[in-house]
Amino acid sequence: MAQTVTLCALFVNGMMCGMAIKDETGMPFDAGRLIGGLEVSLDVDVLFGAYPDRDGPPGTPGSVLALLERHRIRSAAVASLRAALFDVRSGNDELLAQAAPEVVPVGAVDLRDPVGAARELERLAAAGVRAVRLFPEEQGVEAGFPSVRHVARRAARLGLVVLTGGDVRRFWQPFAGIEARVVFLDTHFYHLGDFLVAAADEPGFHTSTRLLNSPDALELAAAELGAGRLLYGSRTPHYEPVVPLLRLATSGLKPDEVAAVAGGNARRLLGGES
Amino acid sequence: MIIDVHAHWGPWFFTMDVAEANLATMNRYGIDRAIVSATEAVIYDAQAGNRALAAHLETQERLLGYVTVNPRRLREAEEDLAAYLPGGRFAGVKIHTDYTGSPVGSRRLRDALTLVAETGRPALVHTWGTSVLDLAQVCLDIPGLRVIAGHMGADGFRHAIEAANACDRLYLEPCWSHAPAGRIAEVVAGVDPAQLLFGTDATLIDPSSAFGAVAAAGLTAEVAERVAWRNAAALFPDLDITA
Repeated sequence: MAQTVTLCALFVNGMMCGMAIKDETGMPFDAGRLIGGLEVSLDVDVLFGAYPDRDGPPGTPGSVLALLERHRIRSAAVASLRAALFDVRSGNDELLAQAAPEVVPVGAVDLRDPVGAARELERLAAAGVRAVRLFPEEQGVEAGFPSVRHVARRAARLGLVVLTGGDVRRFWQPFAGIEARVVFLDTHFYHLGDFLVAAADEPGFHTSTRLLNSPDALELAAAELGAGRLLYGSRTPHYEPVVPLLRLATSGLKPDEVAAVAGGNARRLLGGES
Repeated sequence: MIIDVHAHWGPWFFTMDVAEANLATMNRYGIDRAIVSATEAVIYDAQAGNRALAAHLETQERLLGYVTVNPRRLREAEEDLAAYLPGGRFAGVKIHTDYTGSPVGSRRLRDALTLVAETGRPALVHTWGTSVLDLAQVCLDIPGLRVIAGHMGADGFRHAIEAANACDRLYLEPCWSHAPAGRIAEVVAGVDPAQLLFGTDATLIDPSSAFGAVAAAGLTAEVAERVAWRNAAALFPDLDITA
């Protein structure tokens, strides 16, 4: 239902001297109307599993896929929290066994074990996995640790796309100069300038849009680097997928750019094209 | 109708260009009115920012102002409260705890809020983590003070539930650049709906963040209306809204 708001403004000598708003009807917070027909063909940031240290959703595959469907997110690059937090091999195997067509499996490695991580990268690549996800914050690993540089180099050598969490102002560095293809999943708009200057020299650097939620971050990044560097990421089910959806739907990007951000870029990247 | 009780006017120091983006941003999300503080006042010079905002508001029909108070400059604050609050274009007071180095539990913040309480206007105070609990104690200690916990503690939203239940003159508004699943629904389930407001932190944060988080909570029509504008209209008579 459309809302009707009556604005009555009186100006005297250019000064506001009185105003009233009369609310006649209201349908506040109608996100669906703003999102319209926007669909996401591939979400680059989805997780199966739960965080044991948080009161969050259980993240069972069925519940996550249902949540994606409700938001018209047609497929997702999914990683396993079991692999990230507990046991890499069984977590990744559990994920790879998922037969759901809407799941693009993303391997996880444990940066606390760089030797084992390198072995797991080899195993994942041999299994046809195209992307690996890093969880530095969850694993208590800093960007300057030798482990991160080691995994970054091995992943680049194997042609794996890296999806990484962590502060982009620090985590850009281990991936610089090695022709890495990376999606920074935690780029906050506070740090957009750092991402822009780092990515200008690194054609393989991309960012999730999840936290690019200032009024002009998407538009600015598209103008500076091209919309091809932006990928819709939601972190379903642990974040609200509707927020980056709304931001993208109401953005000033052109329709073809919106479609690219809403999955076209991710399909290209995870499909093996550079 | 939607009223944004936590908004800003002016430039930011990040890589962004939003100093003139208020109305365009509001229009995108159907936000009818916003109560703004001057970024200059919040971040650097309260008096200069308040002065600039007063001039800007003379040309804006959809914006009302917060008089920003720096708890370290209470004499100047008294001057500004006296100068701007009676004019009808400023609806309340804004205090940022971090930019002024004035934690919620500090003596100087308590003195500033005592000053605000004497004006009869509400204060929007930046809260994060457990500081919202300190704000509840200050609210209980200062008779008549009505205070909005900005960001409702952000990642401390569960503390915000406790804070709102401790003091019925403490209101919560949700803006945050992060939107962890279920945050708003949990707060709404635990707090008197009369204490819930809507805020975005625009033009720093796009309204999509708060708007989407609230939308995801699936509020009843009655609660949504309270959050969207009814509670704000009651708290800020200067908005002059007729239901």
